[in-house]
Amino acid sequence: MKKKTVYPFMAIEGQEEMKLALILNIINPSLSGVLIRGEKGTAKSTAVRALARILPEIEKVKDCPFQHDPKGKHEVCTECVRTECRNRVLGIDDNQGPEIVMEGIRVIELPVGATEDRVVGTMDMEQALKKGEKQVEPGILASAHRGILYVDEVNLLDDHVVDVLLDSAAMGVNTIEREGISFSHPARFTLVGTMNPEEGELRPQLLDRFGLCVNVLGISDPHARVAIMERRTHFDEDPEGFASLWEEESRQLVEQIKQAKKLYPKVTCQKNRLYEIASYCLDVGVDGHRGDIIILKTAKTLAAYEGRTEVESKDIEKAATLALPHRVRRQPLQDIVTDVSMMRNQNKAAS
Amino acid sequence: MTLYNTIYPFAAIVGQEQLKLALILNAVNPAIGGVLIRGEKGTAKSTTVRALASLLPMIKVNKGCAWSCNPEDPDSLCDDCGKLSEGREKSEHGIIKEGAIGATCIERRTRVVTLPLNATEDRVAGGIDFSLAVKSGARALQPGLLARAHRGILYVDEVNLLDDHIVDIILDASAFRENRIEREGISFSHGSDFILVGTMNPEEGELRPQLLDRFGLCVEVTSEKDLERRILLMQRKEDHDADPQGFFKQYQADNDLLSHRIKRAGDLLKEVGFSDSLRSFVATLCAENNVAGHRADLVIEQAAKALAAYHGKTEAGMDEVTQVAGFALVHRKREAAPPPPPEPPHDHEEKPEENQKQDKKEEQEQPPPEPHENAGPEDEQKPGQNENSMEEETEEQESSGEAPESEPESQGENQEQDRKNVLEKIFEVGETFKVKKFTSPKDRIMRRGSGKRSRSRTAAKQGRYVRSSIPRGSHDIAFDATLRAAAPFQIQRKNGSDLAVILKEHDIREKIREKRIGNFLLFLVDASASMGARGRMAASKGAVMSLLLDAYQKRDKVAMVTFRKEEAFVNLPPTSSVELAGKLLEEMPVGGKTPLSSGLVKGFELLRNHLIREPEARPIAIIITDGRGNVSLKSDAPGNAALGNGGIKKQRPFKEALSLAEKMAFEDRIQFVVVDSESRGAVSFGLAAKLAVNLNAEYLKIEDLKVNQLVDIAKGVLP
Repeated sequence: MKKKTVYPFMAIEGQEEMKLALILNIINPSLSGVLIRGEKGTAKSTAVRALARILPEIEKVKDCPFQHDPKGKHEVCTECVRTECRNRVLGIDDNQGPEIVMEGIRVIELPVGATEDRVVGTMDMEQALKKGEKQVEPGILASAHRGILYVDEVNLLDDHVVDVLLDSAAMGVNTIEREGISFSHPARFTLVGTMNPEEGELRPQLLDRFGLCVNVLGISDPHARVAIMERRTHFDEDPEGFASLWEEESRQLVEQIKQAKKLYPKVTCQKNRLYEIASYCLDVGVDGHRGDIIILKTAKTLAAYEGRTEVESKDIEKAATLALPHRVRRQPLQDIVTDVSMMRNQNKAAS
Repeated sequence: MTLYNTIYPFAAIVGQEQLKLALILNAVNPAIGGVLIRGEKGTAKSTTVRALASLLPMIKVNKGCAWSCNPEDPDSLCDDCGKLSEGREKSEHGIIKEGAIGATCIERRTRVVTLPLNATEDRVAGGIDFSLAVKSGARALQPGLLARAHRGILYVDEVNLLDDHIVDIILDASAFRENRIEREGISFSHGSDFILVGTMNPEEGELRPQLLDRFGLCVEVTSEKDLERRILLMQRKEDHDADPQGFFKQYQADNDLLSHRIKRAGDLLKEVGFSDSLRSFVATLCAENNVAGHRADLVIEQAAKALAAYHGKTEAGMDEVTQVAGFALVHRKREAAPPPPPEPPHDHEEKPEENQKQDKKEEQEQPPPEPHENAGPEDEQKPGQNENSMEEETEEQESSGEAPESEPESQGENQEQDRKNVLEKIFEVGETFKVKKFTSPKDRIMRRGSGKRSRSRTAAKQGRYVRSSIPRGSHDIAFDATLRAAAPFQIQRKNGSDLAVILKEHDIREKIREKRIGNFLLFLVDASASMGARGRMAASKGAVMSLLLDAYQKRDKVAMVTFRKEEAFVNLPPTSSVELAGKLLEEMPVGGKTPLSSGLVKGFELLRNHLIREPEARPIAIIITDGRGNVSLKSDAPGNAALGNGGIKKQRPFKEALSLAEKMAFEDRIQFVVVDSESRGAVSFGLAAKLAVNLNAEYLKIEDLKVNQLVDIAKGVLP
């Protein structure tokens, strides 16, 4: 099947914060996702869909329904339906080891109307009827392991689906205890959600699962708006031609991401910078400790993205504006803060 | 479990001493009966519980026994182990293969069994083993989570989100320490004595009181405020992420030490004494805190013993009791008596003496006492402060002489005109509180939607699959249940087919799904000048805000209509953004006359439109007014036709409202609630009450909305 050409990521005009947040998440998946809040028509979904093209490749066991890393043994395999790769991974057949493929990180879309059994996985009907055996049919969470789980209009997601998302997003393990099946498999994914706040807010617990949060606004500069219109019409008329125009820039970005990924483990953060982070969180008033941890990770990723091995003050400043908006403690009906640094200054002035 | 090989070591958790202590006590003495961990997100709640698994003591079990029987207690053995001890080798049950059970005892670590939110009933309680039944035709039981958790820990993350229905099963099992299965042709019971550990974030809603009481202890966790410790925490987390295995090794020694200490304490526990004088002290302590039932007394004793054993003592003393009492009381404590209505709740002053005896540190970390019934954090919003602002409002009103006349219908037209501009003002939101529960009656109508207020069966193949039944025509086949129903007959049915399972029509089972649907709440707010007097508006806004907060937790849809001056406005069309409603409410101006009738009409129109789109909806209309309507409908008002009111002559405003109300009451899908904002004690007209009678509505004063004031009026009034 020929893939439909998607709008190139690099061709998105403006929305720098959103693009940055997405790129940071690709470099460091442990940032655990980004929530994109904004009005309609601000390229939210376009940006996420365009991601697919700039994602790096990872090693995978071929055809594995659980997206396994070929290194290491997997408990899950003992109960997996696919006997072929199972025997190889577990070394039952011979010592060949599993077949390895390089595959781009996947973007799995979770439709708003998804049912719970499709999300977590359920009993495989075919196996049951043909062989009388209980087997797991992996759900969306299994396909999203090591990839990106994308939920459009995440605030409209059914409550019970949110509950199961919370469950597995917290620990990176999806536990199935339903319909006669008892099974666990790893499900570590980057959760990317878009929402329009006019349709209602997210539940606090789910909100906290998103590492970063960006607010996108329509662009008010007339030149930029014209540029957007021009590019869009060009793309609509000739998608492939348009995409090829941006090929070079996309390639550069992919390269930059690759370098940053390599550099990330070497990035260090000095103790006085840690003080900065902690006091930032205390000043603004954040629930829990996830804020601190995410700021540190984001700052390190930012440094790696810019090719440095030392976290600087500006990284922390930037990281805070991405990691804190949705974590600032607020009254139940208050709006989400959009400008964290402003809030910090206010709080400081007040005290 | 290797799945969790990246687990964070218990000994490396920074701070959260209370939480760690409560968990350790439970590990030492399972009789305590579990911990509920309440706290904001990102405070290592789940991490700590999962880390506990590696510290738990070893227990003895018979090899191969699926029910984790205790070999040293012959009375409690399951059939298989029982027969084993009688010298018979073979199990008739077919669960345990012949010879798999040796007379051998093995030791294994106490399990932590996770109950995920997506669990279905058959997996929690246990159901027929499908593959075994197909192959051998035997009806054997596949042990459920309750069996796995026997003599171990049953852990529920986000326990407040667990389905009511699963909660029932857990309550049942934990009450009898036994799980009885009567389903799918199986009748069986097995021991199910587990420690229940749950975590929850109170922002997402509260627990059912019955379940709350099952947790022996309750700990509130908050984030670390100390800079140094926050940094330590970040560093450790980074180290852990960089090299989980290496990190674990680093703390292995500490972990082992802790594990050893727990084991020793467990052994010592039997010898720990508890004096009678201490018992009576515990009893008084519980009585003073108005604790319901006797579980608190028992839990305190067990926990104090565990703590003594943990410290290597053989006698529990005052110190131990005071240290653990807070854990056992915090979620069971009740307010002494409902405070007299006009005063703000004084949670804060009412600290029983005994509590102050506790060491200071604990005092700080304990949250203020909470009302027993599902109280959330929002009812602690500085009532004092709000009271002040209300008083100021009142004074201002009175001194400037702007209080409206007490005769609502005699206000002169021109006088009104003059005041209109002067009087328009925005009042602050008054005191908010926890509101009592409004739900619409549960029925058998299938609905779509999502939310948390009322439970409903759903037909749309969505919602949580909770159990199965014989077909009722939903065509939502419960495949697993169908297979289980068919399984035992496969041996007879099989004749040459290459399918392993042959289904007959009578095997078909359907899914019953359940979800809570949010209601649609319409707020009909009187914003006329008369409401501005004596802080009434502040109080009313407070009441509406409280209802909104409640709506937010239950994920209702809300809409708001206000009426003032000449007519009514739809301020907020139906939306699930309660935030928006809150903001509008804050900014709502007050002033002008009271067009009660047009308010009613506007509200009714909105509801009717909503009902056309969703005929199965059961909206609740909440009317906040003092009932002093003084503007009639305009004869050409568009809503008139809706109520067949076109031909009616102009009536006196209030009479007109009453007759409208009578007509509106015919729509029995809408439930009306009238909240009277007329302050108590002032000259009362009871107009709102009359309106309520005609609307066939529940009539409440603002004070009545508070949850602790009256025992659930809803039960009496709502069917």
